[in-house]
Amino acid sequence: MLKLIQVEFLKLRRRKFIWLMLLAALFMPLAAVFYFASVQGTGVEPIEFYKWTAFSYTPWIILPVVLGMLSTMLMYNENQYDMLKQLWIVPVNKMAYFFGKFAVVLVYSVCFMLITAAASILTGVLPGYIAFDSGSVLYLLRKCVEISLLTAFAVLPVLAVAAAQKGYILPVCLTLVYTFLGFILLMVNMYLHPLSSMTAIVMRDIPGVVITQPLNIPGAFLCIGVWSVASVLLAGAALKKRK
Amino acid sequence: MELLLWAERRKLRRSKILWIAGFATVMVALIVFAQGQFIFNGSRYIDGAGWFMSAAQSLATFYVLPAVIALLGSYMICREEQEDTLKSLRLIPVDEVKLTLSKMVLALAFSGLIYLLLFAITFLVEAALHFEALSIGLILGNLKTYLLDGIGIFLAISPIIALVARMKKGYWLALVFAEIYSFAGLFASMTEPLKTVYPITAVFKLSGYYEASIVQTLIGIVVLLVCAALALFILKGLNRKAK
Repeated sequence: MLKLIQVEFLKLRRRKFIWLMLLAALFMPLAAVFYFASVQGTGVEPIEFYKWTAFSYTPWIILPVVLGMLSTMLMYNENQYDMLKQLWIVPVNKMAYFFGKFAVVLVYSVCFMLITAAASILTGVLPGYIAFDSGSVLYLLRKCVEISLLTAFAVLPVLAVAAAQKGYILPVCLTLVYTFLGFILLMVNMYLHPLSSMTAIVMRDIPGVVITQPLNIPGAFLCIGVWSVASVLLAGAALKKRK
Repeated sequence: MELLLWAERRKLRRSKILWIAGFATVMVALIVFAQGQFIFNGSRYIDGAGWFMSAAQSLATFYVLPAVIALLGSYMICREEQEDTLKSLRLIPVDEVKLTLSKMVLALAFSGLIYLLLFAITFLVEAALHFEALSIGLILGNLKTYLLDGIGIFLAISPIIALVARMKKGYWLALVFAEIYSFAGLFASMTEPLKTVYPITAVFKLSGYYEASIVQTLIGIVVLLVCAALALFILKGLNRKAK
């Protein structure tokens, strides 16, 4: 399994665009610079600043979209060049293949959020919007790792659909709709969709965040777990059908 | 040109992309309908006449539809390279600029149709929920907004599609860029000057979703024409590149 994961990472060396997508991690920190320059000014509470840069649209929209695209790319790449037949001949275990791809998504997600965290600190401290404080930095890092791990599991359905499809159109459209659904359901019911459940878990201890629905952390984990298991089963069934 | 348009239309019949774009549009309407169940000040959003028609077009534009339209346009362009039919087309010989222009004209038509489909869905739901509260002025006003959104959003993202025509395999870039570009409109709408000049929000000024003075409307038209001119400028170099 570890060898398979290593091979997956080696394959990424040739995919420049995957590395370019990491630039999306800078979007919210840069947007925050403009926002705080025009609206708030300096002397902002670090957590307030990080709420803008790392705890809002990044986990709600940007990270899920990027991970969905990554999942589609990882699966489509092999289909496009008809590599799967050769992999099955080796033979590569189909579920190990799927989990190898998931490991890439997971590591990518962690890297993405760590870049967001680093950019948040730099864009906050360098212009003087926030004071450097080790406590808040550690809190930011912990939250970013939490978001990255949970989001990787929350996009498993997209990875499963990408594994079940030969093309890229449906998984990509699904990524957009799935992310949008997760974002909208935040206001309606947080425990139906893995992305909104992820938000419920992440927001549980962020100061100043008002959640209108009763917080149910086991329910949120259950939602992510059920969707993840269903996705793995779907991917397993779809890959078994593949020749 | 007419022949090229006819051929492109015939080619699309075999592709699933139109169904998938239609599915994404229907899903967006369903998701916004779900958001309409949110209770604010004792009543649901959806109970307000015109809320659904108004909210669906703005949310769809900020989060989903520009990326779907960019996907549609870039797919039509990239498939010639991917399926290795571009060489045969060059042998005929087909003018690559005209070929790409015909694909873009078709993408413009589909952009309008996608928005009209969304309008049809939202109108039918509004009519089913509170027919007597809908005035002719409200319906026609929304129809105008949707139609201008469809045309305007295509013009706003046309440079991205044109860039894909130059890069050939850059459809991932088109997708990610279109998504971030439309999503950034949320932040652009926070300040009035940026709201007027940012292409995505300029579309809203033009379509009547945002209030706009005559000067702001004219600026919006100029911004979108600049986008279209930029797309044409990018396409102009296509034949030179092919040689």
